[in-house]
Amino acid sequence: MPFISKIQRQSDYNRFPSSTPIVIDNGASYFRIGWAGENEPRVVFRNIVQRPRHKSTGETVTIVGDQDTALLKYFDCTRSGPRSAFDSNVVFQFEIMEYVLDFAFDRLGTNGSRIDHPILITECVCNPVQSRSKMAELLFETYGVPSIAFGVDAAFSYMYNQQHGICEKDGLAICPGFTTTHVIPFVDGEPVYKGCCRTNIGGYHVTDNLKQLLSLKYPYHMARFTWEKVEDLKMEHCYIASDYALEARLFQKGGKEAEDKTRCWQLPWVPPPTEEPPSEEEMARKAAIRERQGQRLREMAEAKRSSRINELENQLHGLEFLLHQLGQVKEEEIPSFLSDTGYVSKQEIESTLTKVSQSLRKAKGEPKAEQVENEEKADSSTSEKYPLINVPDNMLTPEQLKEKKRQVFLKTTTEGRQRAKQKRFEEELEREKKNQQDEERRLENPELYLEQMRTKYKELYEKVEQRKRLKTNGGHTNGNSLSGGVGRGERLNAAQRERMRLLTTAAFDRGKGEDTFGAKDEDWQLYKLMSKDNDNDDDGADEDEAELARVCSRLQEIDPTFVPKPESTSLQPTNAEAPSFCPLTKEDYQIVLGVERFRCPEILFHPNLVGIDQAGLDEMTGVSIRRLPSKDEGLEDRLTSSIFMTGGCSLFPGINERLEAGIRMLRPCGAPIKVVRALDPVLDAWRGASIYAANLQFPQQTFTRADYYDKGEDWLRRYQLRYTL
Amino acid sequence: MEAEVIKAELVLPTHMTFKRIQIYEKYPKGQSKVRWKQLKQILQAENYQNYPPDEPNYVNIESPPSMHPCKRICDITGFELVATQIDHFNFWNTMKSNILIIDAQAPYHDPRTNLRYANADVFKLVRSLPNEYVQRYLALRKAAVVLR
Repeated sequence: MPFISKIQRQSDYNRFPSSTPIVIDNGASYFRIGWAGENEPRVVFRNIVQRPRHKSTGETVTIVGDQDTALLKYFDCTRSGPRSAFDSNVVFQFEIMEYVLDFAFDRLGTNGSRIDHPILITECVCNPVQSRSKMAELLFETYGVPSIAFGVDAAFSYMYNQQHGICEKDGLAICPGFTTTHVIPFVDGEPVYKGCCRTNIGGYHVTDNLKQLLSLKYPYHMARFTWEKVEDLKMEHCYIASDYALEARLFQKGGKEAEDKTRCWQLPWVPPPTEEPPSEEEMARKAAIRERQGQRLREMAEAKRSSRINELENQLHGLEFLLHQLGQVKEEEIPSFLSDTGYVSKQEIESTLTKVSQSLRKAKGEPKAEQVENEEKADSSTSEKYPLINVPDNMLTPEQLKEKKRQVFLKTTTEGRQRAKQKRFEEELEREKKNQQDEERRLENPELYLEQMRTKYKELYEKVEQRKRLKTNGGHTNGNSLSGGVGRGERLNAAQRERMRLLTTAAFDRGKGEDTFGAKDEDWQLYKLMSKDNDNDDDGADEDEAELARVCSRLQEIDPTFVPKPESTSLQPTNAEAPSFCPLTKEDYQIVLGVERFRCPEILFHPNLVGIDQAGLDEMTGVSIRRLPSKDEGLEDRLTSSIFMTGGCSLFPGINERLEAGIRMLRPCGAPIKVVRALDPVLDAWRGASIYAANLQFPQQTFTRADYYDKGEDWLRRYQLRYTL
Repeated sequence: MEAEVIKAELVLPTHMTFKRIQIYEKYPKGQSKVRWKQLKQILQAENYQNYPPDEPNYVNIESPPSMHPCKRICDITGFELVATQIDHFNFWNTMKSNILIIDAQAPYHDPRTNLRYANADVFKLVRSLPNEYVQRYLALRKAAVVLR
């Protein structure tokens, strides 16, 4: 049941004579203003002010209260957040207070040159005199108010309910408000401020706690958790558990009762459009098209191949013919004959011939065994090809030396290639053997083999993941105490940070003079250090990853139930979206409020949970009773038999029982304890004030402008309202 | 100004007839904004020590620190932190009453991140959180490292 603001401009201002006071409940959450004697305040709005810039005109305007967000799009609200005149429960920003009062009086329908009515305005308990005097000054000077009275809202609420018989003349008023909680004892209808107790925790802290918890739990939906929305959630779903430990254990067990108490908020979610499985005809048609395309491709390949074969055959014929011709020509005329054709020697022709015939055979698709043969034949001619290698150096001319060098080089390269081929062949054999062994092992004991494979996969996976995590996150997931720079340190991984460190230390050692880095040899060792680190890392990683892939594929072959774990990317700290890339389901769009429902209001009873080291609600009553100056017999009992709850936060379900249980722990056994709640915890303060102001003796409790200036600040400090008229 | 904005009367008008001094006179735009005293400064300036101490003022009605043992709950799930619960019934106690001793709540906290956790699953979650989230969880408890 969210609060609704009423900001309709009232039109009956002139109906009220000058003696009718205006009653203002100046609360940290809501501002309520109305006429004395009425039951409801006329104007109610949130006590905040925004000063955005208008987008088109550029002027800064003032907007009071929370307004329709649709209209706010015309304004640039980036620089101006909502501001409140309050710091805790004391007014300190009187410029904002003036805006608020302007707005309030304007909506009350004020016309005329000054506010010609006495004003009753609420303040906090024991308001500092500076705040009080500034408020009085504002009202007297700027608005021309004739007389003012200050009162405490909890007291008005108590009075109102006392008149309605909810609570007695002596009692304790507990007022959990927006930023603070007060416990005020009342004796004979008057508040005894000496026994008053205040803790700086209130509805604001509860809402803030809930907002932070939800944002941390659902970072993907952080934009949804605006202050207003979270307040709505709090008012609708939060409750106070009668025993926190029991409730928490209930949720920990996770039984049916926990399910019942969990509330789920479904955010709008549109499932991605599912493609219908293509129908039979579709599939057949697609298959036919594919078939046709394949056919076309095959035909083209075939045509190419045949043309190439033809070409090669022609070449072959030509070469054979040439050889034949060569055989017939005489020895002396070979060079001249050959220079026409473009070949230098007979050997060259022969080698080209073999090459061509090889490629022809390959094109036709004959086995490779012949190729090996040819290669051997080619090898045997190395000694012919490199005739100069074996000849010692001193016997050769310079040109021949050069020739020899070239031949040596060629020989070594070809030999190297052969060696590499040999090694590959051997490795191939090795692998075949290992596979065969594997197969045998598998066949003899399938179960064990499977287990071994699985464990090996898991280990490898862990190792790879670990390394990957280290690489991207460095140490910054949990080494927050170590990382020095908050900005740079987080982005570099461990290895990079190490390198930076080395460089900076080396640079700093130099001193402030000129930069002589690099003069000594040790400096350059740094670079070697850094690059070595890098290499080590990568090599190890590659091996493991290759192994992992092999094991993964093997497992996939033999184990039907095996599902390879997806490569999960490690959490990116700056990325607020979901880290995993699997498609978001409906469940991801549900906000579940389980433990938070009673965890957040618990801070009213245990402010330690949010780091505020003060007493909680139940303890505060004990403190308050202890602080009372004079106690006649039975006063304490009378106080506890009429414990009155007012204020917005007292609307949490279950607060009465919890408070009663808490106070029973403090009081002697058998003491009467009765906890009652105000008729309307939110509006009763204003109603009480309204009735008070309508009383005929009210004018005696006010002070005028003359009083204020004559009597001075000291008198203002001691000014207190008398609540029983 | 757009028509609907004017109709909704969103913006506060700058001139009010009922005011003696208008706001633009009081705070001319060119001038730097008036520095309002924060609550701490107001309280300091009040000089409460000059007045008798048993007179209630803003400062001395504040609550004392809590006497109850600090309630420790898991930072992430909100569960209570209880290691074991052993009920001892002291039959041979001279007071002739049954004393129920619940083993002291063993609040587990992670020494690296200083977060509190309830059980092993939550611990796994705690260790996998990036630094930003860790600090935000700690900030809920006002235990975060604040670099000012």
